[in-house]
This record gives sequence, structure tokens and C-alpha cells, in this order.
Amino acid sequence: MAMETSLESPAPVRQVANAIAGWVDRLGAVWVEGQVAQVSRRPGMNTVFLTLRDAVADISIPVTCSRTLFDGLNPPLVEGASVVLHAKPSYYANRGTLSLYAREIRMVGLGELLARLERRRQLLAAEGLFAAELKRPLPFLPGTVGLVTAPNSAAERDVLENARRRWPAVAFEVAYAAMQGPRSASEVIEAVERLDRHPGVEVIVVARGGGSVEDLLPFSDEALIRAVHKIRTPLVSAIGHEPDSPLLDLVADVRASTPTDAAKLVVPDVGEELRLLARARDRARGALAGWLAREQAGLDALRSRPALADPRTLIDARRDEVDLLRDRARRCLGHALDRAADDVGHQHARARALSPLATLQRGYAVLQDAEGHVVTSVAGVAAKQKVSVRVADGRIHATTTRTEPLEGQSEDSTDG
Amino acid sequence: MAEKKTAEDKPSYEAAREELVEVVRRLEAGGTTLEESLALWERGEVLATICQDWLDGARARLDAAIEGDDES
Repeated sequence: MAMETSLESPAPVRQVANAIAGWVDRLGAVWVEGQVAQVSRRPGMNTVFLTLRDAVADISIPVTCSRTLFDGLNPPLVEGASVVLHAKPSYYANRGTLSLYAREIRMVGLGELLARLERRRQLLAAEGLFAAELKRPLPFLPGTVGLVTAPNSAAERDVLENARRRWPAVAFEVAYAAMQGPRSASEVIEAVERLDRHPGVEVIVVARGGGSVEDLLPFSDEALIRAVHKIRTPLVSAIGHEPDSPLLDLVADVRASTPTDAAKLVVPDVGEELRLLARARDRARGALAGWLAREQAGLDALRSRPALADPRTLIDARRDEVDLLRDRARRCLGHALDRAADDVGHQHARARALSPLATLQRGYAVLQDAEGHVVTSVAGVAAKQKVSVRVADGRIHATTTRTEPLEGQSEDSTDG
Repeated sequence: MAEKKTAEDKPSYEAAREELVEVVRRLEAGGTTLEESLALWERGEVLATICQDWLDGARARLDAAIEGDDES
């Protein structure tokens, strides 16, 4: 319901004021969280004036509440306390002032604080700000180490000394920031972003000594968490002691339990690295020497094999083989000859035995006709036929006179 | 007898060693003609020398690296 006004028909102040009041009322009652900056409670006034400051931004808003409500607070409201109000914005037309009228003020107690922290953690976790895959590895040997800490604090000393002991040549870029109190979160954010922009810085450490939950509250601040989430440089959170774990630990790339631990994480122990290097080199050499020895042994074994080392064995083997074969050949031949000789002898004897010579020598003679056929029967032999008679030492030629058969001789066979 | 081989056609250590093992195996298996055996044996000698050259070279480079290290 924008108002129709123009140069010719301007709206009166009261009309504008009422319009503003109407718009302001449309916000309605809200729960708002902040830090009490000032409290002015004047005797005789039944309203107490407060200033509520935003936890991070430089924004504050006046708050009014009834004195009875203010006095009834337990623990009493003090400056710097974190509170949650249930308030309705009200526009005081007479003087054109806007303030929140608080109907309920809740102290942010420790349990309440932790509960709210947990809710905030779940909220941010749901947004994926703590996702594991976002974690960046720390550089092994950072060019410059960015450090956000309180000026000349124990944390600063721990980080610097430990880092330098491990690697004397480490370069630091320190950005001081309040590590406690209302300004802390915003200063830390500013320092972290400055280091993030710094070209040389390759890792940022946010280091703070131990403290109460309230002291460490700035390190669970939502704006800080979102800022750390956005930066590119890997960040190490080293807040408080081992048990302390502000939300910064969850969004950081690496959580160190203490500042000293952070120094160990960001800087390698150069002495140790050199020892590792030397050992690696020795092992490499050992391996190679081992390999060489094995191959040499293998080669020596091969070369010592008779086939290579002593070729004569090759020739000898063949010569022996040949000799062997020759002897066997000879033996076989000998046997064969002997057998042959025996055989001949045997045949000879048999021949001789069968040959008529011996018979002839014993006085027998073989009669043959003119054609040389042996005559074994009188039949067929006529008188005056030319015959030859074979006697042991020669042949007698003769002519038959007559033949005379004898009984019982002709039917048996004569071997011949 | 091992004629000087130029670097390119010199077989690699593994190749030479592989062939050497094969030569010895065939020689020991026998059944090769005399002529073949002689040829095999000569080849064996050449291969053995090549392998030895490779190993000596590697040994020398390793020793050089170690000396280089001791001096620095």
C-alpha cells in the first residue's frame, strides 16, 4: 500500500510516521539472538534501555524492556552476555525511533549454548560445509606458513618454535587477531582472508591456547565457518587442547589437537626426511647389487656347464661314441667272420663228407657214360659203349664189354 | 673369438642370456650334428661374453655412483 505522494500533494509527517509504524508492525514478534552491548537502567524509569549487538556484524539495535522483566532475570543481565530475546519491533512515532520491545529474555547458558552450537553444527553439516571430499591435503613443504593467532601468545610461540626446530628455513606470515571476546570472530575472518589472498602463503594455521567454551565460542561462529569454507588455501585448526573441538575444527582441512601438533603437521622434520632419503637410496643400491650378484652367479653357472666350459667333452663324447661304435662294429665283424668261417668249415666238412672223393679213396669208383651222366644201373648200358670211370686220383676211359644185373639191388634209392 | 659388436645390434642382456640358456640346453640334449654342435658352442661363447659385458658395465656404473656418493 505505497502512499501516493507528489511534490504538489505531499504527505504530512504524521501520515508518513503512521505508515512506517504500520510496516514495522508487520514483522511481528521474533526471536533474536545477540550480545548485550550497553545496559541503561535509570531509577524511577520502568523501562530499561539496552543495545543488542550482532555477534559478528557491526550492527546493533536498541531494545527496551520492562524493569520487572529485567530485574527478574537470573543470572542477571550483564554487558557482553549472549542473549536470545522474544521481541516485537516498535516504532515510536513521536521521536521517530525504532526499537525492539523485549517480552522475554533468555540467557544463553552453557547447556543452552552447547545446544545452540550443536544445532548450528547440524545446520552447517547439512549444507555440506564439513564434507570430507572438500578436505584439501596439506603441502608437504609449504613456501610460507600463514599463522592467525593473538600477538605474543603462547600459541604463537609454540607454533613458531616447533616449526623452526623441524625445518629451520620455514617462512611464516603472521596475522594477529583477537582470539577472545566479541571482536574475535570478525578479526579472525579478516586475518584468514588476508592470508588466503597472500600469494606466498600455502597453508594457514589458526592457533589459540586452551579456554572455556565461551572463550572458544568465536571459533564456532557461523560467519567464520563460512569464510573458512570459501578460502582456497588449506587451513589447520589448532584451537585449545585435545578435548576442545569448535566448529572450526570441522570445516578446517586438518584438525590439530594443539598449536604444537599443528607445527608438526605443516612442516616436515627435515632431519627425518634426510634420513629416509638416505635409507631409500641405500636400499635401491642394495637391491641393484643383489640383482647383479644373482645374474652374475647365473651367468657363471651357465658358463661352467661342461657344454660351454669344456668343448672337448663334446668332442670326447663323440670320439668315445665313435670308438665305441667302431669296437662294436669290429666285434660284430669278428663274430660274423668267425661264424662265417665256422660255417664254411662246416659246409666244407659236409661237402667233403658227402663228396665221393673219400669213397673213391676207399676204393670205390664212379661210372659215367659218354655224356657224363652217372650210371647207376646196368639197364640202358649196352656193350661196346664208351664210359669213363672216376677214381680218387683221376679218370679211366674204357669201353664196356657186357653187363650183368644182380638181383634185389635195383629197387632201393641211392643218395647222390 | 667374440667379434666386437656395435651397440645397436648387440642383443639386450635378457635376449643374450635367453639364447645362451637355449644353446646350452641343445648342446646337452645332444642329437645335433658335429657341425651344429661346434657352431652352437661358438655361439654360446659369444653370448656368454656379451652377457658378461652387460654385467660388468652395470657393475661399473653402480660402483661409479657409489664412489661419486662417497666423495660428496
